[in-house]
Amino acid sequence: MNQTPPPGCGNRRQWLQTTACGFGSMALHSLAARVAQAAGGPLAPRAPHHVARAKRVIFLFMAGGPSQADLFDPKPLIAAKHGQTVLAPVDDSQLRVGVDKFLAMGPAAPVRPRGESGMMITDLMPHLASVADDLCLLRAMSTDNKAHAPAALQFHTGKPAESLPSMGSWVSYGLGTENENLPSFMTIHPPDDVRNYGSSFLPAAHQGTPLTVPKDGRASAIKYLQDPETAAPVQRRRLDLLQRMNQRLLGRVGTDAQMEGMIESFELAFRMQAETPGLVDLSGETRQTLDLYGIGAGPTDRNGRACLLARRLSEAGVRFVQVTVDGWDHHSNIPTLIPKSCAGVDQPIAGLIKDLKRRGLLEETLVLWSGEFGRSQWSQDLSGTSPIEKHGREHQPESFCSWMAGGGVKPGMTYGATDDFGYRPIEGKVHLHDLHATMLHLLGLDHEQLTYRHAGRDFRLTDVFGNVVHNILA
Amino acid sequence: MKNAKHILRPWAMFACMGLMLPLLHADAPLSEKQIAFFEKRVRPVLVEHCYECHSEGADKLKGGLRVDDSESLRLGGESGPAIVPGDVEQSLLIDAVRYESLEMPPEGKLPNAVIADLIRWVEMGAPDPRVGKPASSPKTAVVDGRSHWAFQPVELRQRPDVKDRSWPLAEADFFILSRLEHEGLTPAEDADRYTWLRRVSFDLTGLPPTADVIRSFQEDTSPQAETIVVDRLLGSRAFGERWARHWLDLVGYADQIGTSNNVFAEHAWRYRDYVINAFNADKPFDRFVREQIAGDLLPYGSAIEQAENLTATGFLVLGDVDIVEADKAKLHVDIIDQQVAKVGKAFLGMTLGCARCHDHKFDPIPQRDYYAMAGFFHSTESIYKTDRGVWSDVTAVGLPETEPQQAARAERAVRHTARLAALNEERTQATARKSALDELLKNENAPEGETASRDELMKERDQLAGRIGTLDRQIVHAEFFAPTVPQAYGVRDVAQPTDMQITIRGNPHILGDVVPRGVLQAASATLPDIPKSESGRLQLADWIANPDNPLTPRVTVNRIWQKLFGEGLARSVDYLGLRGERPSHPALLDHLAAQFMRDGWSQKQLIRSLVLSRAYRMSSRPNERARAADPDNRLLSRMNPRRLDAEALRDALLAVSGQLQQSAGGPALPLEFPENVANIDPKNVNPPSFSLAKWRPEQAFQRTVYLPVIRSRPQPGPAELRNVFDFTQPAQFAGQRPTTAVPTQALFLMNSPVMKQHALALSRRIMQEASDNESRLQVLWLRALNRPITGQEAQEAEVFLTDDGEDGWIELCHAVLASNEFLMRL
Repeated sequence: MNQTPPPGCGNRRQWLQTTACGFGSMALHSLAARVAQAAGGPLAPRAPHHVARAKRVIFLFMAGGPSQADLFDPKPLIAAKHGQTVLAPVDDSQLRVGVDKFLAMGPAAPVRPRGESGMMITDLMPHLASVADDLCLLRAMSTDNKAHAPAALQFHTGKPAESLPSMGSWVSYGLGTENENLPSFMTIHPPDDVRNYGSSFLPAAHQGTPLTVPKDGRASAIKYLQDPETAAPVQRRRLDLLQRMNQRLLGRVGTDAQMEGMIESFELAFRMQAETPGLVDLSGETRQTLDLYGIGAGPTDRNGRACLLARRLSEAGVRFVQVTVDGWDHHSNIPTLIPKSCAGVDQPIAGLIKDLKRRGLLEETLVLWSGEFGRSQWSQDLSGTSPIEKHGREHQPESFCSWMAGGGVKPGMTYGATDDFGYRPIEGKVHLHDLHATMLHLLGLDHEQLTYRHAGRDFRLTDVFGNVVHNILA
Repeated sequence: MKNAKHILRPWAMFACMGLMLPLLHADAPLSEKQIAFFEKRVRPVLVEHCYECHSEGADKLKGGLRVDDSESLRLGGESGPAIVPGDVEQSLLIDAVRYESLEMPPEGKLPNAVIADLIRWVEMGAPDPRVGKPASSPKTAVVDGRSHWAFQPVELRQRPDVKDRSWPLAEADFFILSRLEHEGLTPAEDADRYTWLRRVSFDLTGLPPTADVIRSFQEDTSPQAETIVVDRLLGSRAFGERWARHWLDLVGYADQIGTSNNVFAEHAWRYRDYVINAFNADKPFDRFVREQIAGDLLPYGSAIEQAENLTATGFLVLGDVDIVEADKAKLHVDIIDQQVAKVGKAFLGMTLGCARCHDHKFDPIPQRDYYAMAGFFHSTESIYKTDRGVWSDVTAVGLPETEPQQAARAERAVRHTARLAALNEERTQATARKSALDELLKNENAPEGETASRDELMKERDQLAGRIGTLDRQIVHAEFFAPTVPQAYGVRDVAQPTDMQITIRGNPHILGDVVPRGVLQAASATLPDIPKSESGRLQLADWIANPDNPLTPRVTVNRIWQKLFGEGLARSVDYLGLRGERPSHPALLDHLAAQFMRDGWSQKQLIRSLVLSRAYRMSSRPNERARAADPDNRLLSRMNPRRLDAEALRDALLAVSGQLQQSAGGPALPLEFPENVANIDPKNVNPPSFSLAKWRPEQAFQRTVYLPVIRSRPQPGPAELRNVFDFTQPAQFAGQRPTTAVPTQALFLMNSPVMKQHALALSRRIMQEASDNESRLQVLWLRALNRPITGQEAQEAEVFLTDDGEDGWIELCHAVLASNEFLMRL
């Protein structure tokens, strides 16, 4: 990697000190970026540990815990006993609310074999069914926590408590950025808990930048990105004055890496301000593409925009893009509610897969779809008095379904199985730590080597766990 | 499904004690038949499926387990002994190949016949002819580890000689200068008095000096001028407000319990106020330790003292407690883990969490030490199961009241009863009128006797329905928050204190040996005897605050040094273990630690002596020689300039723009507004929760330490600045915050409404205070940057203003508030 500043720039500090009015031209701005990278900035691209199958990740996070019993993995025993009590092999060390009857509950809609692979997918997701042969379905996923907040935190950081770096931050740390004008980890409609996209002890440059998809042209996708009330030349004048003051102070103190960093951060902010609006503006996309994602149509519009934006960011070189879709926490009324949740994501997500594929991006992009856990095959009735049609399902970390696509996983593969109750994995178990290890492996990173020294310890995403699931690698 | 195992594992005990007692199999010679079975049926399996990760030749040994000699197999790894000869059920190796709790080998389950062979082998007593050298034992690690600098006794050091006798002002200066002279370096010149005043004001109070303070300090040319300033700052309420926040970073403080469902921690503020008061009262640090670990067990002389003691134990429970965890045994061991980790980090500068599952890899802390410490908290009640769903809650303890407090509460109760009666009365009347209207409106025709039109009646009915809804919420809210005995989050001993069992890999359902309560073997102080009926927290606190415990004073003075000089003498302030950085000035660290204890553990005295030192007075501009020889400034030849932290930055913006309002503390969450509270109906399966739909108007202008701290979301409302400038997430315990420079911060400074609002307020204030541009510029610079404006700056600002007219002042103020000089203390 290039370790020297651009020709004629002297060293980085001299360059910063002499470019007193550095905001004058775009040429200088990109120069500043190259200087920052050349100087070994935290986002400078890094070589992977081994040959990578994927260059970047799009993580579709289905917050709340989608029900695998209704979507991908109905159980004949459960369907046959619909409405009757089953002898569930549950862990008796846990308290349970509203599931004391353990009534078997069949799927809300038929789930059938699709494509050449015969992967089982619900009728509620016809678009996804049409790309079944591109997916790799994991049916024996497993994680450790039963409550949303800690389980979501574990999904993102590997641990259900504390505050550790998010997997997007680890990927950014491991590989650096592909685009000097953008953050390397962006999260669209992020989960509430900021730790889910925080960099913790990793350098802050690796933290996730939250985005919301703007509803109209004036709204800003990134917080504080724009100041619509101040005319651009006015802002420029203020910035020029400010940077002159900063340069003088730097001269007074002589040297200070922190001050230099703060001056540089203004430069990058200014470039983001100029370039991000164009990137998040979907108006340049063809009608055909917008239709592919279901943009403009009621229930799919929001997620369609988010998925299309994810493709644009990914295409622009953002290493890790996350799209969060809420609303999968179906504790009651699942026959009525899950069709709505499916309708909101089916076309956008299938559209994303198709779009990536036709652009030749799917091969180098790993798409991951998962909730923080799944749901039980038996019903939950919080009131204790409602009929089974009104029941929902309880959280289930013991086993659930996730899928991956592209980026070096076997397409059309269904991997793993659970027992007749859809509760315990009986083969092909993939613990969350294994999923993390596998994701890093596909990106060319060895999860045991990707460490960071903090508080006297080498930390990693997989803690002391994780095995790469070689069986699903293409 | 695996049942909870309660297993006494004798081999684990040997492992921990490091005793190489003769093992059973060694006594009886192995028969030929046994050896043949091993060689034919067992050894090939181990070699083929296990050696890659579990032998001396493994690239990287997994789980600390070796299976390539008999001793290692029996001693086991991080999860405990791999085999217990003769006992299949207790042999983890068998458990693992059966794919029960562990799953080995990971590439796929062995054939049933092979598993059957292994089981038979264990049943036979695991005959094993292999001999080898087991890994070193934890006992030796503890003995060796004691030689690490941090575990050495603190010694009062003679101050070293220096060549330049005129430079030192304080004892610490001799240590700094002597080291610099030894390295052939000279200290930076003194900072100018403006810079020093701004520096010491921010460091001690988190606020800039006012224009009046700057002027009077400049006019005071006496040798006592600095002392007067420092004593005034140390005596101000703002001192505690500043330094309490540093401490809260180590506690994981928040006004929310756990991260699920926005459960409010309505009493948490009492602990925050306790910490502020402790700093302001200069509570001796050893006392501060005892109160926070064992306040409930301390004797007291008054209701006030007892209330303080009880409130202090909030230290142990105000963390990220996962109260929705359905496995209550797990919740129990997880909160203990948090308490051990917090005590380890805050007081001892040790990372103890690693030893939950295995002996510490680097530090002389065997797993038994973890469980010895954990036993104190195992015997302590911190949480309890509520009646709602799976939820638990943090223990709250009632606080004793003084007589005036009781009287005030009685008065509040009278007002509360009256208000509740009035609300109920209004509700009764509104309901009656609404029922009457409902009746009237049942008729299609205009009702008789009413002069109002049908439309008007319908409107009235709708209004009443809305009002009744509001009244219902107000009544439920008022009943929920009825005046009661004040409460604080805290702990108490359980009825029957006991020692704790090792949990295998932190799993509360797979248990190992019982470990007697105790403390770190590597530290020299000894634990007093624990009375049978008590948890032993008092003895633990005595051990931590014992002058013979070298860790506590070193950790504490090192942190104080870091807050004043930017970096600790040992830079890893939360970790003084073997993998931490050695102190740059070990003798100075010891000197300060000894002096700290000699001065009665007074934090204020230590801080006072440090900020009045010559070292603290140095400029932050390095000389050329020092820049080349010591670019990281490890030798302290200059002051480290620092960016203000989130709290100081927001507070400074408020102070400079003249908007800051004083607060005396109290509840952070505005739960008095019914719209901020939900789920208070006791029938609800979920616990009461908060939102922040409405704020008290004054909260926008109070110091940041008083704003709510949230666990599950970005910091809200007026506290949003914390999200941008490196606030410590409340799930962490951290004695030092990172200082990052990311574009989000620049975007915030350029574009956020908050910055624009402060620039506007500041510009208005400047316009009022002076009438011409020249004097306005002087005021602006003095107020914001705490120094006079230079000629060049004034000229530049004039040009900037001429072009922009009226709005120019707002823009100028905005530029100054976003400038590095405002954002930093030099």
